[in-house]
Amino acid sequence: MAKILVIDDSAVIRSLLTDFLTDIGHEVETAGDGDEGVRKARADTYDVCICDMHMPKKNGYQLLTDLGDRKHNMQFIFTDSMPDHLGERISEISDYCQLRKPFDLTQLRTVLEHTLASVKVQ
Amino acid sequence: MSLLQHLHGVSIRAKFVVSMSIMLVISMLIVSGFLINRQSHGYRRELQATGETMIKIMAMNAESGVLFGSAYELNDLMIVLKEFGTVESGIIMNRDDSILAQTGHLCFDTVQIAALRRETRESNAFGFEYITDTTGREYLVLAAPVTSEQQNMSRENLGITGGVDPTLASSRSKETIGWIELGLSVENVDQAIATAKLVAMLVTLIVVIATIIVVVAVVSAVTKPVTELVEATDQLRRGDFSTRVEICQRDEIGQLATTFNSMAESLKQSRDEIEQYNRTLEEKIIERTQQLEEAQTQLIQSEKMSAIGQLAAGVAHELNNPLGGILGYAQFTLEKLRKNVPEKTTPKDIESYTRYVGDIETQARRCKTIVQNLLRFSRSSRSTEFEEEVDVNQVIAETVTFVEHQFRISEIDLEVNLADDLPVISGNAGQLQQVFTNLMINAMHASEKGTAVRINTRYSPALGEFGGALELRFADSGHGIAEENLKKIFEPFFTTKEVGKGTGLGLSVSYGIVKEHGGEITVTSAVGQGTTFTIVLPVQKIAPSTDTVTELGEKHY
Repeated sequence: MAKILVIDDSAVIRSLLTDFLTDIGHEVETAGDGDEGVRKARADTYDVCICDMHMPKKNGYQLLTDLGDRKHNMQFIFTDSMPDHLGERISEISDYCQLRKPFDLTQLRTVLEHTLASVKVQ
Repeated sequence: MSLLQHLHGVSIRAKFVVSMSIMLVISMLIVSGFLINRQSHGYRRELQATGETMIKIMAMNAESGVLFGSAYELNDLMIVLKEFGTVESGIIMNRDDSILAQTGHLCFDTVQIAALRRETRESNAFGFEYITDTTGREYLVLAAPVTSEQQNMSRENLGITGGVDPTLASSRSKETIGWIELGLSVENVDQAIATAKLVAMLVTLIVVIATIIVVVAVVSAVTKPVTELVEATDQLRRGDFSTRVEICQRDEIGQLATTFNSMAESLKQSRDEIEQYNRTLEEKIIERTQQLEEAQTQLIQSEKMSAIGQLAAGVAHELNNPLGGILGYAQFTLEKLRKNVPEKTTPKDIESYTRYVGDIETQARRCKTIVQNLLRFSRSSRSTEFEEEVDVNQVIAETVTFVEHQFRISEIDLEVNLADDLPVISGNAGQLQQVFTNLMINAMHASEKGTAVRINTRYSPALGEFGGALELRFADSGHGIAEENLKKIFEPFFTTKEVGKGTGLGLSVSYGIVKEHGGEITVTSAVGQGTTFTIVLPVQKIAPSTDTVTELGEKHY
């Protein structure tokens, strides 16, 4: 069981991830935009953060920058729906897994398990 | 001058006839006058010569009668004289002017006869004068001395008959012993002259008439084809290029007619060719216009497709979330249902399934809306669909739903403030949507993150010719447009964007579309402060512009 922070501007994605991740036994916290995500990430400790790259107010890169050193406390899975240079910029400052939207739940589970495994290794 | 001007209106035939007649009459009069005058002088000289001869013979024959005062002898002479028709009177006088014999009696002008007598007596020689009598008739009066050779008479008287004394010969002198006067009538001469004049006049008349007939005939022969040519030329002028002249002469007129006919033929051919060219040209113009309209429609459509391309990422992003939800919930629900044991199914589970499927439906509807918007946006902008009622607010709202994802991703606010009281206008919603999309994308590209693009609509009854106009503003607080670029902003292919980011046709196409709707598009901008595009669309279109393609290239500020 892991503690997961879901940051996504899409309500349905937040709802889906909450339902799914809770169902497979994880504890889930959600945030609707980058600001809220940063706030929650600072307030608590999470194992994994599933974060949308393109959001209003703060995108994934800005969120990482804002978190500063706290970003090293958790693993990131970035979801992404458009091809641009944001992914490259994020990879410069953080190792992360990327899931292209719309993603399969099995895909998500595999990526999550892989990520959690690396957490355990650490 | 006035005569010349008057002559301008006279036909060639009349000019010829009148001028020829006048010249002919004048020359005939001059020639016949000259001839008659000469003849008249000739007659008089002849009369004078005849009279002189006659009077000299008479003077010689009267010598003895006068010398001896023999009235009998002299009267015989008078009788002989009378035989000559022209002799009207004759007088034989002695040296003292006493009448010895006389025939005919004429009452001459006393002054004239006295002058003649004085002259002849003084010169003691033959003389003549034309003298009128009291009735006004003219006569040739001749006077000659009747002489007697005195010495001969003396020698005879002296009885000297032999030989001729040469010394005496030179001293022989003639003595005037009397005078003889003859009055010759000049009537015959005058009659002859009068006859000659009459003949000359008759001849002149006949010649003039004959000349007129000949001239008329000749001139008619010349002017008839000329008149025909004139009429044919007039027909030609009125556009009857099939007109021809039928003149079969071999002279200059005939050549002119042949040239005229070939000229008419050439003109006809040229006219036919020009008409053919015109027809071809018209067909080509129609064809090219259609091609141009087609090209314009294609241009608008391709601009629209370009806009769709630019918005594709935003649309994809917007579609991916609901699709992700659908996919995820479908998989999740399926997984749940596969694991489901019917006996253990709780109402809470049912409630969850219902919520999952409900979410799937909601998200599918959202996808449907996005796809519908996309399809509506990409609908054809063909000008045949031009006259439809357009709710501009609705078109803007649809456009906003289409571009808002992109705005959201770019973190630029879109503040839309639409007036409630906008009347519908007639136009092409697809084309207007193209304009609005263009302006919104341009505003978005010009804007910095965190700024806002404001869209306002309002109805102004004061604008436009009838029924007022709509005023639509698209304002951004972006980097603005430099003064020198502002001038070229509606020109085709003008772009400040990087290669591949813009065709440079968006604003010129927008300009053409707004013009097509009878409206105006204007721009104000300040570098660093932002740009505002204002579109005024008349509620009632004033005149549909037919040459939008040309106008695409024009500037407007």
